[in-house]
Amino acid sequence: MKIKRRTSRATVPSMAMGDIAFNLLIFFVILARAQDDSHLEWNPATAANIESTRPATVSVLVDTENKLYLNGQQIGVASLKDAIQNQLGDRPAGQRIVLLKVHRETLAQRFEPIIEAIGEAGGDLVHVVEEQRP
Amino acid sequence: MKLRRQNQLLAEPPSSATGDIAFNLIVFFLVCASVQPDSGRSQSLPNSESTKQQETKNKNIEVQLTRTAVLLNGDQVNIEDFSKKIRSLLSRKVKAEDRIVVVKSKPETPYHHWIAITTAIEDAGGTVTLQIEEERTVNIPN
Repeated sequence: MKIKRRTSRATVPSMAMGDIAFNLLIFFVILARAQDDSHLEWNPATAANIESTRPATVSVLVDTENKLYLNGQQIGVASLKDAIQNQLGDRPAGQRIVLLKVHRETLAQRFEPIIEAIGEAGGDLVHVVEEQRP
Repeated sequence: MKLRRQNQLLAEPPSSATGDIAFNLIVFFLVCASVQPDSGRSQSLPNSESTKQQETKNKNIEVQLTRTAVLLNGDQVNIEDFSKKIRSLLSRKVKAEDRIVVVKSKPETPYHHWIAITTAIEDAGGTVTLQIEEERTVNIPN
């Protein structure tokens, strides 16, 4: 007499597919943003008549410890101009936006050479600041 | 005699999934919060060549910044009065090249002071030009 081996079938519950897809989507969104500078600490200055900035591929930041970052990666002022030029490539005017985020207490001896480097690299400078409240 | 219907379907979401749902909602709102666009002020800076030409003419408005003070053409002015004074000075300038304002900052000038003054200049119709002192190495012979 032959005894048949019992086979058990393990299936992935199809109900969870939506959740899995959603989690993967979130994971890749976070991964894509891992190179940004949202993890860096800085306090923006305030100014009047500010407007929403257009999406930019280049972001320069000076944090509370006076360190300079290009797209979240630490860099020196001497190599900033070339690095921005590489990032901007041959983009036409209007698409060469460079966001400048400077900690409010940073001194001119630090931020002025950075502004100069952005200008020399051909970037359209946008100071990221907070709206001044009366 | 009334007969009650006995096939009442009770559709309840599985309680074991509420943890997953809460987690997904938290992650979703975190990502939404982190992708909020920045707000700021655009600033166009004339290139250094034109700045040098303007300097030689020596007729541009000059603003000097120190840590807490501001000097307009060499005279100290209150920060509150600066907007009015720069506006009145710029109103006499018709040509675009005459509306260039040369900003010289002391090394200890903080960014929040600098941005407040340059914002006032641009709102008054001026074009900000930076004059940066270049570092010079002086060799002293023995």
